[in-house]
Amino acid sequence: MRYSEIVYLLPLLTIALGAVVLMVLSTIKKLDIKKLSWITLAFLLIAFGLNALNFGYIYSVLPFSHTLSSMIVTDTFAGYFSSIIIAGGIVTVLVGSHYFDKSNMLRGEVFSLLLFSLFGMMLLVETDELFTSFIALEIASISLYVLIGFQKNSEQRVEGSFRYLILGSVSSIMLLLGTALLYGATKSTNIVQIAKYISAHSSMDMTLVITGGTLILITFLFKVAAFPFQNWSMDVYEAAPLPITAFMASTFKVAIFGFILRFVLIDFQELKNIWSDILFYIAILTMLYGSFMAVFQKSLTRMLASSSIVHTGYLLIAFVSINSIGESAATSIIFYLIAYFLSSMGAFGMLSYIASDDQLRVTYEDFRGFAHIRPYMAAMMSIFMLSLAGIPSTIGFIGKFYIFIGAIEAGYTTLALVGILATFVSVYYYFKLIALMYFYPSSEMTNVPSLKGIPPLIIAVMALLIVWGGIGNTLISYFPGIDFLIDTAKFAYQSLF
Amino acid sequence: MDIGLLSFIIFLPLIVSFILLVLPVGMKITRNIAFVTTIIVFLLSLSIFFKFQLTDYMQFREFHPWISSYGIYYSLGVDGFSMIILMLITTLIPLGYLFLWKTKKSKGYWASMLLIQTGVTGALLSLDLVLFYFFWESMLLPVFMIIGIYGTGNRIFSTLKITIYTIMGSLFMLVSILYLGVAFYNEFGVWSFQLSDLVQITTLSNFERTLLFFGFMIAFAIKIPLFPFHTWLMQTYSNSPTGGVFILSAIMAKLGIYGIVRFVLPLFPHQYVEFAPYFVGLGVFGLIYFGIAALMQQNIKRMFAYSSASHLAFITAGIFSLNAYGMTGAAFLIVAHAMATGGLFLLTGTIEYDLGIRSISGLGGIAKKAPFLTVAFALMLLCIVGLPGTNGFVSELLIIFGLFEYNHYVGVISALTVLVAASFMFWLFQRAILVKTDNDVSKMKDLDIKEIVGIFGLAAVIIAMGLYPHWFLYKIEPTIQHYLVDILKVGIGS
Repeated sequence: MRYSEIVYLLPLLTIALGAVVLMVLSTIKKLDIKKLSWITLAFLLIAFGLNALNFGYIYSVLPFSHTLSSMIVTDTFAGYFSSIIIAGGIVTVLVGSHYFDKSNMLRGEVFSLLLFSLFGMMLLVETDELFTSFIALEIASISLYVLIGFQKNSEQRVEGSFRYLILGSVSSIMLLLGTALLYGATKSTNIVQIAKYISAHSSMDMTLVITGGTLILITFLFKVAAFPFQNWSMDVYEAAPLPITAFMASTFKVAIFGFILRFVLIDFQELKNIWSDILFYIAILTMLYGSFMAVFQKSLTRMLASSSIVHTGYLLIAFVSINSIGESAATSIIFYLIAYFLSSMGAFGMLSYIASDDQLRVTYEDFRGFAHIRPYMAAMMSIFMLSLAGIPSTIGFIGKFYIFIGAIEAGYTTLALVGILATFVSVYYYFKLIALMYFYPSSEMTNVPSLKGIPPLIIAVMALLIVWGGIGNTLISYFPGIDFLIDTAKFAYQSLF
Repeated sequence: MDIGLLSFIIFLPLIVSFILLVLPVGMKITRNIAFVTTIIVFLLSLSIFFKFQLTDYMQFREFHPWISSYGIYYSLGVDGFSMIILMLITTLIPLGYLFLWKTKKSKGYWASMLLIQTGVTGALLSLDLVLFYFFWESMLLPVFMIIGIYGTGNRIFSTLKITIYTIMGSLFMLVSILYLGVAFYNEFGVWSFQLSDLVQITTLSNFERTLLFFGFMIAFAIKIPLFPFHTWLMQTYSNSPTGGVFILSAIMAKLGIYGIVRFVLPLFPHQYVEFAPYFVGLGVFGLIYFGIAALMQQNIKRMFAYSSASHLAFITAGIFSLNAYGMTGAAFLIVAHAMATGGLFLLTGTIEYDLGIRSISGLGGIAKKAPFLTVAFALMLLCIVGLPGTNGFVSELLIIFGLFEYNHYVGVISALTVLVAASFMFWLFQRAILVKTDNDVSKMKDLDIKEIVGIFGLAAVIIAMGLYPHWFLYKIEPTIQHYLVDILKVGIGS
């Protein structure tokens, strides 16, 4: 046993330690939300730094493989996803602290739960063992169930929380059942072992393996809100406090995709043809259904929730293309996740910042003439909308570019065309907000928080990153740009094998 | 990293615009700095005009990796055809500014105008298809803002309409670009979106090429606009502020034509020749159809909008006529028409500014109040109808020659239509400007000194190009020959 391997586990352990420490601290009355949020932030930054130590090269280690019986694998892939997840936590705390502070009902336990949820997500992308992944998924989800329903005096929140709890549990059971079936067939729950079994017995009957894999895919499709498992997302997103919505919509999605990418890429190299047909139609239906729902929403939260279904659809396009162009499709998924993470986190973060004072439901109409009162905030919101719509000069365009070109390269021109159609529809509901903000005289929006403090700064940084990611590194060649992101995504992919 | 002349021309307005937006400066300073910026850009492009060599290949090349994993380059260059449009854009914009000087808009208006300039020059000079798409889409946003914030009437609806229309077109083009890129990768094993690389693709079937051809053509046809895709035009033109109409009609529409010649022609030469008859037909049909529509309008702006569409259809017929006359004439008419139409929309904007939006019958007797405006209006109209001595004459004559050579009947029809078009322009001039009526036009003021400089500067170029066309023609001749002989392989005609 080499003790130096602890280095690879440190980020995960830091988060776990932080969660426990904050649970204890939250009982102390003297510490208010502000102080607790700084402590949380300290833990997150340390974890981020520790995680960044291993950045930039390809590695794959099974730390303490004897004690942990190879349950945890730390590789570039896991490191890459962990850094996005931790960044999601940092942004949530920074942007949300304003919101948590204003809404008196939320107490210090929020931060502990947030860290537990982050721990679950990180474990999810770092595990190659199916039972561990079930436990990780449950840690992440249960913390989220509580976070959504935390304000127990709000009927809507409690209802949303319960809805998510019940549906989420059913979907998690699918993962458990799938694992059991895979174990029955292959005598192992370790992804690598299962993959070995599959390639060694390729001529044999694979019904059990396929059934098990399908069940796991169902869990995945539920968690990322793909058709036909999408209906929970809009209600839950709307019910949750806005920073938590932001956290769920961007960070949790990244974690789920990280898990399923590892699972599919390693495990089912040989069998993935079986699912590509059905995923093909699921991708199309997800995009169409999401677009259809998004067009008719009046509340921005619901619009972003349904558009997040559309974005899941785009990601599924690349997921289908993995079949024939493994590396570039996986890379495009990873890149798109970054693009989507930045844009949606920014949009939801901005919403939560604006809504934090009056706790109103934020609708399109609330933004009428917004640009005349808060020009910078309106400009940032426009950048997020443009990036979500995939307009050139934002990172969203580059992300879509990769996904669509991958689809055409893999021979799925139909998928690319449906994706283009969905993009086209999305222009309507994203530009509607920009039009409302800029084209109407200012309304009497009195209590809009002004640009002060850290949350707007973080949001501005994300807006800048989006533009930088879209313009790239031609201007300043030594500063990391698109090429850098793509290369790291490629490293992450290569470290899997 | 060295920054070339072309990059400077493209990005100077963008940088200035951002600085102006961030700094707490007022509208007037913004406007003045914006104007100086466009003058600098004009001088830079003038130096390109003089340094330009008479060959058919790309000059002033700039080439830097951008997204290496997909072989996308920041690749710029200029040839005879794009050079003449570059000159047009960089000359027209500062002259237009002189006219927009007194508009009481906020500083966002001027910042958006600068952003538009970056978008159009960027699209004009890029030789990488993804880079082209990048600029092509980017120029939509400032237009969106200008019409939406500063427009009149049902501006929000018309803004969303033009945005959705053009994005639909561009998305078709995007799919085609991606498809070409994948085809190139499959054939050569490396990624590239360079125009000079993509023309080498041989593996695509005829059917695929035809689909891709139309993918590109839809995007450009919406921008021009060609006949079935023109429905956004009327609302947008009548609801835009003067600056917006000026940019849309004088510059953006021309880029649609440019796109066809620059990208569609070399990428799909076979389809270009195959479908040329249809597009010549569509062009001549548009010439007549929009001409008739223009006759029926009661509002000057709407009437010019249709007459502009009619001329653009005529230019389209010219570029598909497959001979040197037609194509050179089209290139020339792009310039002539941009100047004349731009000038007319600016003058109309002045009338609207003084008198409010009125129908033609509500005007009249302006000549007495505003002699300079009347003279300028007359000059621009004469250029539009193609009076000898203006560049409109040279170009229309060349296109008609080209169409005659293509097909005698088409030539006769278009020549007659152009004549008829002349008559209604004069009729309008008489009713709106000359004849004294009972309408109250006492608020009409004559052009001020800045506007006089602007419009007569424009008029000077129009007449110079009309009297000495070869000064300008010889710069584009090698390029046109290259297109006809080397790419389309149809010869330059007799």
